[in-house]
Amino acid sequence: MTAIAIDDVARSFGEVRAVDGVSLAIRDGEFFTLLGPSGCGKTTLLRMVAGFCELDRGRILFGERRVDTVAPHRRNTGMVFQNYAVFPNLDVAGNVGYGLKARKLAREEIARKVERALALVRLDGFARRWPHQLSGGQLQRVAIARAVAIEPEVLLLDEPLSNLDAKLRVEMRGEIRALQRTLGITVVYVTHDQEEALAISDRIAVMRAGRVEQVDAPRAIYEAPATPFVASFVGATNLLRGAVVRRDGAIADVLVGATTIRARVPPPLSLGRVALSLRPEALRLVGNGEALPQGWRALPGTLEETEYLGPVTRFVVRLGDGLRLTVMALTPPACSGEVAVAYDPARVVVLEDDA
Amino acid sequence: MTAVLARHGFPLAIGALAAAFLGFFFLYPVLTVFGASILDAAGTAFTLRNYAAVLTSPFFLQALGNSLIVAAAATALTILLGVPFAFCVARLPIAGKSVLLGLAALPLVLPSFVSAYALVLMLGRADIVTGALRAAGLPFESIYGLKGIVIAYTLTLYPYVVLPAVAAFKSIDASVEEAAQNLGARARTLRTVILPLALPSILAGGLLVFIEALENFGVPFVLAEDKPILAVEAFKLFVGETADNPASAGVLGMLLIACTVIALLSQRALLARRRYATMARRPTPLLTPRPGLRLLASLYCWALVGAALVPFAAVVVISFLAFKGPVLQYAFSLGNFAELFGRSYRPLVNTVMLSLTAAAGATLIGVPIGYVIVRRRSRLSALVDAVATAPFAVAGTVLGIGLILAFGHGAVILTGTALIMIIAYVVRKLPFTVRAASAILHQIDPALEEASINLGVPPLATFLRVTVPLMLGGIVGGSVLVFVTVASELSSTVVLYSGRWTTMTVAMFQALEGTSAGVAAAAATVLIIVTVVPVALVYRLLRRYELSAL
Repeated sequence: MTAIAIDDVARSFGEVRAVDGVSLAIRDGEFFTLLGPSGCGKTTLLRMVAGFCELDRGRILFGERRVDTVAPHRRNTGMVFQNYAVFPNLDVAGNVGYGLKARKLAREEIARKVERALALVRLDGFARRWPHQLSGGQLQRVAIARAVAIEPEVLLLDEPLSNLDAKLRVEMRGEIRALQRTLGITVVYVTHDQEEALAISDRIAVMRAGRVEQVDAPRAIYEAPATPFVASFVGATNLLRGAVVRRDGAIADVLVGATTIRARVPPPLSLGRVALSLRPEALRLVGNGEALPQGWRALPGTLEETEYLGPVTRFVVRLGDGLRLTVMALTPPACSGEVAVAYDPARVVVLEDDA
Repeated sequence: MTAVLARHGFPLAIGALAAAFLGFFFLYPVLTVFGASILDAAGTAFTLRNYAAVLTSPFFLQALGNSLIVAAAATALTILLGVPFAFCVARLPIAGKSVLLGLAALPLVLPSFVSAYALVLMLGRADIVTGALRAAGLPFESIYGLKGIVIAYTLTLYPYVVLPAVAAFKSIDASVEEAAQNLGARARTLRTVILPLALPSILAGGLLVFIEALENFGVPFVLAEDKPILAVEAFKLFVGETADNPASAGVLGMLLIACTVIALLSQRALLARRRYATMARRPTPLLTPRPGLRLLASLYCWALVGAALVPFAAVVVISFLAFKGPVLQYAFSLGNFAELFGRSYRPLVNTVMLSLTAAAGATLIGVPIGYVIVRRRSRLSALVDAVATAPFAVAGTVLGIGLILAFGHGAVILTGTALIMIIAYVVRKLPFTVRAASAILHQIDPALEEASINLGVPPLATFLRVTVPLMLGGIVGGSVLVFVTVASELSSTVVLYSGRWTTMTVAMFQALEGTSAGVAAAAATVLIIVTVVPVALVYRLLRRYELSAL
């Protein structure tokens, strides 16, 4: 069990700054996720921790031990690869015991540990199967068993679920989380799937263009995004850009196009350009003139699109000045044509405009 | 600096080794040939007189013309015959398809001059088939001359077009064709979509035919008679009866290299604007033509494969018949073999030894190069790739002459040794092992190597324990190709061999120069066995890798 300190690391490939000065403190026993779109540097960062990518600058420490200068085969990390990387020329037991054999353990001890690792991933009885006889989900379990069998200091997972179908993905992520709790191991998990990240992590680092935008618990990432990018990448949102035109204590009026949107804002906010994030599920579609909850405000407009998605329905409303807002509701309200979008100013997130 | 070394140490080391080997044994000899072509008789002053002499000589101009005509005609014919064949095999329900493809690839590993010799045995001035044709009233003179050379090339080189074309036709995704038909193109789909998509592969195959036809020594030697051909004339100038003339031989060598380079560049230019990435996610379905058409296609395919293999079969049959002097008797006899091996077993032993050593050498040098090219992409590895492929473009005769000019005197003398022959073979066949290794590596997920390292196995041990076992199929395929092509190699052997290191091909070559047709046939049969047996042993492996290796 180990805390990981990533200290101002950077790496460029030609002109591209893949990782551009990242510092992170990952706690002992934490399930830590690197989340971001493809090309944001999350996989490069993970490969730096594993030792497959040299650093241009910075340091990486496991506990007190500096590891970025240590050869990858001496770092004692367990890595699970996106496409499993199960050795096709070894059977399941051969794969899971591969790292133990490299550590020159006694034959009986290897057998015992292989059995235990297979039990952990619920593959008891699969020891003598060959990789080509296994399904994608089973291959992924073998890869995980192989990585935890060596009792690594940290477990690194590089988009481990992206090759599985949607249903299996949900099932496996629960199992990975349960496994991590059982072992109490520090996990660094890379994904581009924001729902997966929210579901599985203790904390998430959202990355963009080689930099970390925000590090926080899943709920804070979603409800209190630090930047417009985080707000729009994690979950769907109406991201609007405008200017603060009036301030009165904690209340600010922001002019977006010709529409004024009121927000309850934290004190240190100056007048000027801002970005607003309004989550579709925080908005409500109401009939014109309908009574609103205490403190809510309404923006009149025209219902332009309705998409029935099963559990929720998605609406697009066009406001008078042409601004479009997306609204999600559990049940379709009984209105059409001229409608209004109601919102709670307390749930409008005001962000510094970085565009 | 240390960081640079750590990051690029391995590719740098391999690159340096490859550069040293190819620089010393490939570039230096070729440059020596070039040097000989631009220096005066004393070897000191620069002169263009050698070029002027060759390029104003009607004889040598005719040789150049003949070589180009033959190579171009062979390329055109192999494409004309090979592309329909490939399309039938890839897209039509042909009877016995897998056997057919195996047999179609066979001429690649059989010595082409054996096929040429068989054509002479059957269609020479006074031979069996010629006689039959004349009896039937056809005004057939003989197979000798340019037409014979073109026919021999077509029958032995057509797989170079067929194999990549089959792969190309198979790799066109079904949806591409369906899209074309959906847009209303039915019969035109072939011309507007399928052929253009397969064109790069077809041209790549055609280029191989052109280069091979240009550099081949054995086929024109057997069939040309009085028609001059560049590769043969270069050899004659160098070791011929008249007097050795390295200057003129050098000029001819440079002309040969220039022709290949121009062909290579024009193929590149032709394909530069056509780069298609097609990935067959859904394999193209077989077409279902009318039974008559289907029969016709089957007949065509089997006829082509048959025509290519008949000469080899004929030579084997003839080798078991008795000869009375040069006259064929229709009686079974092992006399030819007795006479062949009565002279000496050495040629057979030499062929096997040299081929094995060359295969081992080309594998040991080629596999690390292939690894660096695929796994450590950089400008350096791209350069290594280009240099390691370059031997394809240099005729065996020219390389042989270069090695003798470079290592026949001075500090390092190698002429007359087995080593100089092995060096020539390794240099010439290096592209096979490099291609085979890189092709199979492309199919091995690099994450497998990383997984092993991550689990605590150091990089070199990982390479030996994970990468090599997974590459084994490709490596063996490449090695066997080197073995069989070296066993039937003639163009550099004929320049480099010495009495002690006479090979099977040389024995046959000498028998041809004399009049012992029976001994030549027996030598040809032995060569066929030496090449076909290892190929048959690893047929399954080869079938998967032959494409990539070629």
